[in-house]
Amino acid sequence: MASLKRSVDSDPFAANISSKVYVRSTKSGKVQKIVREVYLRQDIPCSSKLCTSCLDTAPRDAAGRPTPFVLSEAPAGTSVFRQGHYLVPDTNAFLTAMDLFEQSSAFYDVIVLQIVLEELRNRSLPLYNRLISLTKSEEKRFYVFFNEFRLETHVARQEGESVNDRNDRAVRKAVAWYGQHLARTKSKQVPAVVMLSNDRDNLRKAKQENIPACSLAEYVKQLKDADTLLDMIPEDQDQEMIKEKRPGEPFYPEYFTMSKMMTGVKAGLLHQGIFNVSPYNYLEGSIRVPAFPKPLVILGRENINRSIDGDVVVVEVLPRDQWKEPSTQVIEEDAITKNENADAEETGDIVSEKERKALQEEVKRTHSKTTEGHAQPTAKVVGVVKRNWRQYVGHIDQSSVSQSAQQGRKQDTVFVIPMDKKIPRIRLRTRQVAELVGKRILIAIDGWDRGSRHPTGHFVRSLGELETKAAETEALLLEYDVQYRPFPKTVLDCLPKEGHDWKVPESLEDPGWKDREDLRGLLICSIDPVGCQDIDDALHSRPLPNGNTEVGVHIADVSHFVKPNNAMDAEASIRGTTVYMVDKRIDMLPMLLGTDLCSLKPYVERYAFSVLWELSPDADIVNVRFTKSVIKSREAFSYEQAQLRVDDNSQNDELTTSIRTLLALSKKLKQKRLDAGALSLSSPEVKVQMESETSDPIDVKTKVLLDTMSLVEEFMLLANVSVARKIHEAFPQTAILRRHGAPPKTNFDELANQLRVKRGMDLSVESSRALADSLDACVDPKEPFFNTLIRIMATRCMMAAEYFCSGTQAYPEFRHYGLASEIYTHFTSPIRRYADLMAHRQLAAAIGYEAIHPTTRSRGRLEAVCKNINVRHRNAQLAGRASIAYYVGQALRGKATTEEDGFVLKIFSNGLVVLVPRFGIEGLIRLRDLADPEPAAEFDADSYTLRTSGSRELEVELFQKVRVRVADQKDEATGKRGVKMELVSVY
Amino acid sequence: MASSQHVLLSPAELAYLHASLSLAPPIRLDGRSPTQFRPLVAETGILPGTNGSARICFADGTEAIVGVKAEVERTAQRPGEDTVFFEEGGVGTDDADEEGETRDGVDKRKGDASWVEMTVEIPGLRDDDSGTAFLSAMLSEALLADGEFAKRLWINRRFHWKLYLDIILISPPLSYPLPLLSLTSHLALLSTRLPRLKSEGDEDPFFDDDWAAAPHLYPRTAATTTRPPITLLVMAVGNNIIFDPSKEELTVADVALAVSVTSATSPSTLSKPHTTDAEAAAAAETDPESGRNLRLLSIRTIDPPSRLTPPGVANAVNAAYGAAGTQKATLEAQTAAETEAVEGVWKAPRGGAKRAVLGALVQKVLERGGVVDEVLDALEAVELG
Repeated sequence: MASLKRSVDSDPFAANISSKVYVRSTKSGKVQKIVREVYLRQDIPCSSKLCTSCLDTAPRDAAGRPTPFVLSEAPAGTSVFRQGHYLVPDTNAFLTAMDLFEQSSAFYDVIVLQIVLEELRNRSLPLYNRLISLTKSEEKRFYVFFNEFRLETHVARQEGESVNDRNDRAVRKAVAWYGQHLARTKSKQVPAVVMLSNDRDNLRKAKQENIPACSLAEYVKQLKDADTLLDMIPEDQDQEMIKEKRPGEPFYPEYFTMSKMMTGVKAGLLHQGIFNVSPYNYLEGSIRVPAFPKPLVILGRENINRSIDGDVVVVEVLPRDQWKEPSTQVIEEDAITKNENADAEETGDIVSEKERKALQEEVKRTHSKTTEGHAQPTAKVVGVVKRNWRQYVGHIDQSSVSQSAQQGRKQDTVFVIPMDKKIPRIRLRTRQVAELVGKRILIAIDGWDRGSRHPTGHFVRSLGELETKAAETEALLLEYDVQYRPFPKTVLDCLPKEGHDWKVPESLEDPGWKDREDLRGLLICSIDPVGCQDIDDALHSRPLPNGNTEVGVHIADVSHFVKPNNAMDAEASIRGTTVYMVDKRIDMLPMLLGTDLCSLKPYVERYAFSVLWELSPDADIVNVRFTKSVIKSREAFSYEQAQLRVDDNSQNDELTTSIRTLLALSKKLKQKRLDAGALSLSSPEVKVQMESETSDPIDVKTKVLLDTMSLVEEFMLLANVSVARKIHEAFPQTAILRRHGAPPKTNFDELANQLRVKRGMDLSVESSRALADSLDACVDPKEPFFNTLIRIMATRCMMAAEYFCSGTQAYPEFRHYGLASEIYTHFTSPIRRYADLMAHRQLAAAIGYEAIHPTTRSRGRLEAVCKNINVRHRNAQLAGRASIAYYVGQALRGKATTEEDGFVLKIFSNGLVVLVPRFGIEGLIRLRDLADPEPAAEFDADSYTLRTSGSRELEVELFQKVRVRVADQKDEATGKRGVKMELVSVY
Repeated sequence: MASSQHVLLSPAELAYLHASLSLAPPIRLDGRSPTQFRPLVAETGILPGTNGSARICFADGTEAIVGVKAEVERTAQRPGEDTVFFEEGGVGTDDADEEGETRDGVDKRKGDASWVEMTVEIPGLRDDDSGTAFLSAMLSEALLADGEFAKRLWINRRFHWKLYLDIILISPPLSYPLPLLSLTSHLALLSTRLPRLKSEGDEDPFFDDDWAAAPHLYPRTAATTTRPPITLLVMAVGNNIIFDPSKEELTVADVALAVSVTSATSPSTLSKPHTTDAEAAAAAETDPESGRNLRLLSIRTIDPPSRLTPPGVANAVNAAYGAAGTQKATLEAQTAAETEAVEGVWKAPRGGAKRAVLGALVQKVLERGGVVDEVLDALEAVELG
């Protein structure tokens, strides 16, 4: 009987075929044995420009050209490998020190083995993506070598060999092969092929086999700027090489195994969610889980158990006797752990003495409460499903730096205080303390083991001196994950060739005119803030013979220039939105489009997408149509200019009358909206005035509201609603819409209670209408700002509006709560928002202007796009606000301290938060800031009152108007220049 | 498939065959000794996608392939059973886990016959053919009879492996395929591996993705000799017991039996056999030499094809030979031909197996160093993988 199995002797191709067997567990719980046949080839090139033999056999594309080779013919050398070298890192090297490879000073000509790439993907997806983008960069010369498919470098697993050993052997074999292969090229200087690994066993074996190999540290020491680079080798790895893991008492409880967690979550006994740290108390976190309407509270270091804000964790609810009320105290990490020594071997409990004291007070307070109903369920973290660590911006805690470290080059351990207060301090080992002190630095967390109170991290790069504009702005962009790199060439290649000379074609026969309406004859104008360059909307109105009015909103036709699925579209979809900083704008689309070709500048012809209504005198829509058009704006007004023009009775030209008509209609529209229950919410908005030349901030102004602003706003809302209806009708499953969920009633509990207790006012939240009415009723005759204050606080109780794909929600869920509109989308700012661009494409398809591109129709892709732009949108807002906060601080800098009126927004047992409307800033005033020594205080949580006695006697309550002294102050903790407030008096 | 196949042998040939097999010692057509098996070729691991597979080819050209696939399945919770399975998960301390282990030590493992699904395919026959169904029933009966097999599929109190055995005869059924299918299944089960469990206790199971680390369903350590059962076809002609009969031999069998045997580890862990078969219980004994403890699992009689063969006609009653006697004489001769054996004249056997023959047969099967040992040794020598 001939065997059915492939036999090595009989089959001439047997050597070319191998197989790989593994077990795959699927999400649904299936466990399968997977067998993959591997066909080994000999035409996978080494991709070194030195090699000619590979070039002859390399596979060619349809045009007969091989892919260009990557690795340089004259790679850089090191002090040991003077002849030049190629690097072959193993998986560990990438896992521990990806930042090193991203350096521009070294790490060129790297061979990324397929086996390493695959292993990396299994271990860490973000690192894998970073490596992939490195392999795509032309200057770094990273080459992915498919060693598993090349006959000479394929390694079959041996009997009793572990997967890791086998992979290490594959790496060594590939390195050896590369060495031999390159030696055969008859070049004068054959570069060394060096394996980079931190695995001692692998290094030892390489030595035995005479393969050039280095550990990361050894290798980096051969480079020129070794000191800087050495810091990037993560700490624990370093220690692994130097000394065995020190035996320490573990501080934190061990995590559950993954399967145990998953079983628990499935059984409903454990809960999974995203861990959030309270911005006021770093020892208090909360987690929203699907099982409960209210978030669970996680109190104390031990219960938080090494989770960091944003991690996906699994928690277990604590027994009832451990339930607590969320803290009414402000606890800042630096205040409590100030004197910890970063270098000291940590002994004893994880909860430091001071922390414990803070906790005791907490317990005392909770116990003094008679009403047990106040206690909230608490939970503890039992495991982390997914870390959401990113790179953090921070600065070195001056106090953790020892004197000797200031001078020497020896490695030292210091604390880094992240800018984000929710992130715990990070322990960092560095050799360049002296240089880094006083700088903004970027660091990455490597890990947090049970034996360490703080997570450990490594240095990535320095952004510059603290408080320099460049460093601070970059820090903000990094913190909010804003893509601020210049547009790559591939994106710029998608722009029209004519550049700034591009014009609307003159001939009406031109394909650009196809299905475009000629609206150049209409009196169109734009109204925007002063100095606006990216004008994406313009308006017109004209009376119709039947007494109705035709109103047109014209939006820049960005979709004409940004075609689906090209590089520019991909980049825009990643950026999602334009980010406005005080002195900087991070564009979503290249400048040429944003500020010129798509900007509806006056006096030039531009492509537009127009929404044209016929409105009755009562501002009811008689009909609406949409068309691509060509327009010529007559004038670009600023809000102020337009307002002046409208108010000036002597102006009676056609343009002005048409603006007046628009204004009258917009007021009717607004009234209708308010009647329907639209909320008028508030957030403190200020504007930083800059000196024109140095762009240094000189003053802060609150924004003034003009009628013309609401004019533009009303018609944009109307356009958005009309477009939303149209695209939803055309694409019921895939329309991109925007919704604003009704906030859960519990969100308002606290505010409603505060209002009832302090002012005897009622906040009804049954509907947006009821809320609007009750907000209107919240008026303090003596204090005009009180209403705004309540609105600001109410806004913070709201849900965030979000983009979504219509197929994912039921129609009633489409509702926009704040605008009281059944359906809504974003259409009017395609230059700066990607969602609008998608809406443009969908609308163009809906009116039959063009065929819909598959990506604009695929629901999966649209959902991904929505998810991304929601995140980007939020980050952009936060970055903008942070930028304003920074500049407000800068504007106050050096000025004599000013006294301002403020309002108490939040009250704690040891401090209060005050909002100063004039600057739109909030500041925390701690008890200990009131007087020295710290006055004794009595806090009545039921009536939100804080009474101090002793060194200073005060009684402060919620919503109270106070007089504060505002001065700028450099916050030692975050290194931010911020605003420091001092309580002067209570009104 | 029916054990009776059309065998084109004349009554005279049948009579000759029967006579030669009845001799002491019997003379078989192919010159084998009564206990000798036909040569076979076997290999395992022929289907890379399965958890275990085997192929056996008999010298007469019949050939079978067996593939074993395993799937994780949730164990149905029956009311009344202890359904609290996560109590230790809540505590989450190490002692809880130990507790869980000790509880496992008590061995709450239970198996269920539904955890094994077997399909037999014979070319040219429907899968609901009575013969096929009978074969399948016999094979799975042997597999489940000792009550130990299904326990091997236990993962934890909430999950178990579900095993699918696909047995395919790939040649035409030249002889009764039961022994072939059984031996192939045995070999496939021997080579079957299940992914290594990494989770503990009653958690949702979680497995090692390294196939090389997957343990065998029947671990091959010196300590355990437990093996999957084998079912042998044995026949008796007169007082002779003949193993592995060929197709022709089977046509003259007085009795044909399918005997299922297994080998268990050691008598200490072996629970007293729950087979009611007195003989089996009596025969369960340790073999000190091989360390093998053979257990008889079942005996089934198979309708031998000989019963359907046409009888020969004695010359005495054959009219062609001038047996045209009186009416009475003819009648007597005919009665004699029906009831008594006439030397050299074939007559289909009647009645069941004789007790003495059965007893001898069981003894022969469970004999130390006997046929079963030989077969098991031979199969064990087949290289796995």
